[in-house]
Amino acid sequence: MGAALILEHVGKRYGAFQAVKDLSFEVQKGEICGFLGPNGAGKTSTIRMILGLTNLDEGRISILGARDGRRVRDRLGFLPEERGLYKKMTPVDAIAYFGALKGLSMAEGRKRARGLLERQGLSESANKPLKALSKGMAQKVQLAAAVVHEPEFVILDEPFSGLDPVNQQGLEALIRDLARGGATVLFSTHVMQHAERLCDRVVLLAKGQKAFEGTVREARASVPRTLEMEGPALDAAALAALPGVIEVEASPEPEPGVRAFRISLAPGAATAEVLKAAFGRGFEISRFDVREASLHDAFIRLTGIEAETGQEAAR
Amino acid sequence: MRRTFLIARREYMAYARTVGFWLSLLALPLFGVLGAFIPVLMERAEPTREVVIVDLTAAPQDGLVAPGVAIVQEIARADRQAEIDALARAARGAAGLQAADQVRAVAERDGLEAGRAELTRAAPVAAQGFTPPRPSLVVRGTPPELARAQDVAAAEAAARPLLSGENPRFDGVVLLTGEAAEPQARVWAAKADDRTIQNRVREALREQRRTNALIAAGVQPETLRRLESERPEVQMFSPNARSGGEVSMADRMPGLVGFLLGLILWSAVVTGASILLNSVMEEKANRVLEILLSSASPAEVLTGKVLGVAAITLTVLVVWGGFAAAGLGFAGQALPSVAQGFQAALGGLLEGGAVFWLIAYFIGGYLMYAVIFAAIGAFCETPRDAQSLVGPIMMILIVPIFTMQMAVRNPDLMAVKALSWVPFFTPFLMTARINSQPPLIELVGTLAVMVAMVVLMIWLAGKAFRAGALSTAKADWKTLLRLGRA
Repeated sequence: MGAALILEHVGKRYGAFQAVKDLSFEVQKGEICGFLGPNGAGKTSTIRMILGLTNLDEGRISILGARDGRRVRDRLGFLPEERGLYKKMTPVDAIAYFGALKGLSMAEGRKRARGLLERQGLSESANKPLKALSKGMAQKVQLAAAVVHEPEFVILDEPFSGLDPVNQQGLEALIRDLARGGATVLFSTHVMQHAERLCDRVVLLAKGQKAFEGTVREARASVPRTLEMEGPALDAAALAALPGVIEVEASPEPEPGVRAFRISLAPGAATAEVLKAAFGRGFEISRFDVREASLHDAFIRLTGIEAETGQEAAR
Repeated sequence: MRRTFLIARREYMAYARTVGFWLSLLALPLFGVLGAFIPVLMERAEPTREVVIVDLTAAPQDGLVAPGVAIVQEIARADRQAEIDALARAARGAAGLQAADQVRAVAERDGLEAGRAELTRAAPVAAQGFTPPRPSLVVRGTPPELARAQDVAAAEAAARPLLSGENPRFDGVVLLTGEAAEPQARVWAAKADDRTIQNRVREALREQRRTNALIAAGVQPETLRRLESERPEVQMFSPNARSGGEVSMADRMPGLVGFLLGLILWSAVVTGASILLNSVMEEKANRVLEILLSSASPAEVLTGKVLGVAAITLTVLVVWGGFAAAGLGFAGQALPSVAQGFQAALGGLLEGGAVFWLIAYFIGGYLMYAVIFAAIGAFCETPRDAQSLVGPIMMILIVPIFTMQMAVRNPDLMAVKALSWVPFFTPFLMTARINSQPPLIELVGTLAVMVAMVVLMIWLAGKAFRAGALSTAKADWKTLLRLGRA
């Protein structure tokens, strides 16, 4: 496969403020990589350095084999964080124009624009001025403008912000289509749920530094899974003696006479083994529940920062 | 190159497609024509005032002129003079300065009839369309109720009703009192703010005193009348005149043409620069600039936008030029001498190679200001942001407007020469001076300084543009200069 993007010890300063510090990661060709972090983590700065919009102060970047995004401009697609388009242009013209800047002919750009708009269900609005479109529609047009030239590498900065859940799903489908077509996708977000559903791999960024790089599964595995158990005569010390248990925490009693515990399992410990041992030792268990860690949990554990939850996305 | 062209084309189409652009394009010539006609229309619309004279002075001594008679004479003289001026004006526009002088001379010597005949001979078309100006004042017969009045109080009591109401019978009543030799006038007017009658009466009475004083000193009234119509012939020559001797209309035109060209350049720069400012500002506000910069280099984006707006400005100039040519064609029939002078002045620009200097100043002037405004736009998202940055530049741009007028009247003025070397003023002032044949050293020197400035500005603005496009810093001069330097 090979790496489409390599960052090595990249750093960026604005005056005294260190926006990005010693950042290294790789994105393999054809994968969807989530670039995660809270607002102000340095995501946009990093993306701008990858594109060659701003210079890096330290380190090295290699994108599609070039050391600067500017050298492979026509093979990249980019959707900036805050968006807008020429208000008086029609979607077809706008998409064809940005396609033309990336080397397409105007006629080819128009043809592809119509196809892209049709797939997005925007055929009817294809020739209306952009200011007549809703925000969600305009965002789809903008995404179409970013990918009309069928780029090998697509960079999307917070593509989900401002979209309603239906449009968010549409966008997820579109990103999957891009990857299926062979493109490499790097998208930044501070909403973990999208990354969880979409990404092959994620890079977590906090305060300008990398906190984690790997698959979603690996990220989750960094957080202990928890097992909740309830029973009339359960005992914390007995539970802690079970194999694979690292911590036992008493929970409030769900009803009088029933004791509840939250049991953290060691990484790699099989839940089934723990349960088998518990039943084998004759514990009287009235209810149990295995809770898988979410990417959100992993993020908090890896960065020590309370990330914004998926609720924001639904707003 | 391809990207630059694409950006320029989009820029052009974005404006050329709007109705507002074409409306504003037509607005200037339209207002120009209106502006030229309004004074004429206002003059035509000036009403003729009807006045009555009540002379309560004693009869004058033998040979001296009575004040009432003096007023009537003055009105006749002024009307005659106004018509002579109008005849001369018609002749000047159609047949030139000499013809105008000739018509004036004939009319003053042999009367208005002869003057009209002379105009018909010199400029038949203009004579056909000639209408004499309307008299501004006519004296009507005194109504009996006024004539009966023996003193000022009675006359004023009788005058009041004549001047009151929705449609007063007269516009003014002039009461003359005191000595016939030194009369006083009380002017009653229907309109309290109309000073025309008062002014004319004062002029007439001054003339009366002068005449009476001369007659009392023994000067014959006959001599006085002859002196009145005396007009010495004065002709103007210059070795630098087009004819090589006598100065004609063609010699006055080049200065005017230079000033007009300077004004056109100025308005093209201001229009182009503000279009550019707004366009970059819009792209900055909706983050299109970021996409553009990920698709093309800052130099390509800046060049594309500047060229696109240059094409818009050029379209404006071509359309205005079309109107001007049409106007010149129209004027060629009504006012052939003005049109010929104009054509000669324009022809002179082509012959002397001045047109190449003009083109260089136009391009340099436009580029210099365009890149500054584009760089400012890259820092601003709203017109309010831009205000504090644009203010100082607009102040700089005001200076040439005033100095250009000086440059036309007196192209060799030291101040004008000195200011021509300031690159921000060079394009306007040198354009205005171009027809006065400035020395080659000044042409080359000012152009060189300006070109150096243009190069510096493009370099600085290019950096500021790139920095501004991605920055969210507050828009002020400090930030602009700091980021421009970085």
